[in-house]
Amino acid sequence: MNPKKLTTMALLSAFALIIFIVEAQIPSPIAIPGIKLGLANVITLFAIFTLTPTETFIILIVRIILANIFAGQITTFFYSLSGGLMCFFATFWLKYILSQKQIWVAGVLGAIFHNVGQIITAAVLTRTPAVFAYLPILLFSGIITGVFTGLCTQFFISHYRKIRRR
Amino acid sequence: MIKSTKTWIIIFSVLALTSLGCWIWMQSVHIDHKIAKIYHNGECIKTIDLNAVSEPYEFTVETEHGKNTVRVEFGRIRIVDASCPDHICVNQGWISDGTAPIVCLPNKLVIKIEKQENELDAKTQ
Repeated sequence: MNPKKLTTMALLSAFALIIFIVEAQIPSPIAIPGIKLGLANVITLFAIFTLTPTETFIILIVRIILANIFAGQITTFFYSLSGGLMCFFATFWLKYILSQKQIWVAGVLGAIFHNVGQIITAAVLTRTPAVFAYLPILLFSGIITGVFTGLCTQFFISHYRKIRRR
Repeated sequence: MIKSTKTWIIIFSVLALTSLGCWIWMQSVHIDHKIAKIYHNGECIKTIDLNAVSEPYEFTVETEHGKNTVRVEFGRIRIVDASCPDHICVNQGWISDGTAPIVCLPNKLVIKIEKQENELDAKTQ
């Protein structure tokens, strides 16, 4: 791995970590477990579209482990991990079929799969299938927040490409 | 076909509206005889007949994962205090129907309102 790649990955992990921790400090206006903006996903998506899948995977795992050391506890670790992995496997292949103007689609699919992964983990960990009652509202919120984070990534990437061309 | 932006917008709009519709429909389902059940780690540890509550009262559920103080009133139940860090269960407030359970993920505690088992019999009589 060359130093430039390593630096990029370290920088992106740090960005994701900061975004994650800052977002965790803002109290959620909606008191339904699992609903949040998920801004750290912007970095994951950015990595998916500009780096290789392996590199993205490393950034994601590093971010989840560090974020839980700094801002979480052991139970939230499994929710972040399952959500993050579902999101990753649902979106990393999308860069081969989506155009530059469709990056937001990956944001939406990522958010949906992230929420589904978390519900499955919650059902397994609490051994209560009733938590699937949250599926409709989490799908809905996932689509809304996914459009937002997806569009953020899309603008981010198009600006990034402009800067790199100079 | 799947590559067009319009297709994606349609797919996501339909999915969003369906799930929102589902949620609203679930909110409107009414339960007459309410039984609250408190689960810890998937095991039912306490059952409360919400229709039989005359005076509001509070009690604390203590498990190896943490403490939750539960308040019970006629026909509704909530968590008023918890040892978990995020307090989502407290902020969720009252629940009075079977739509969504109160879930305290850090303490692995779930409060659910269920129908009484013999409700069907009572209706068919």
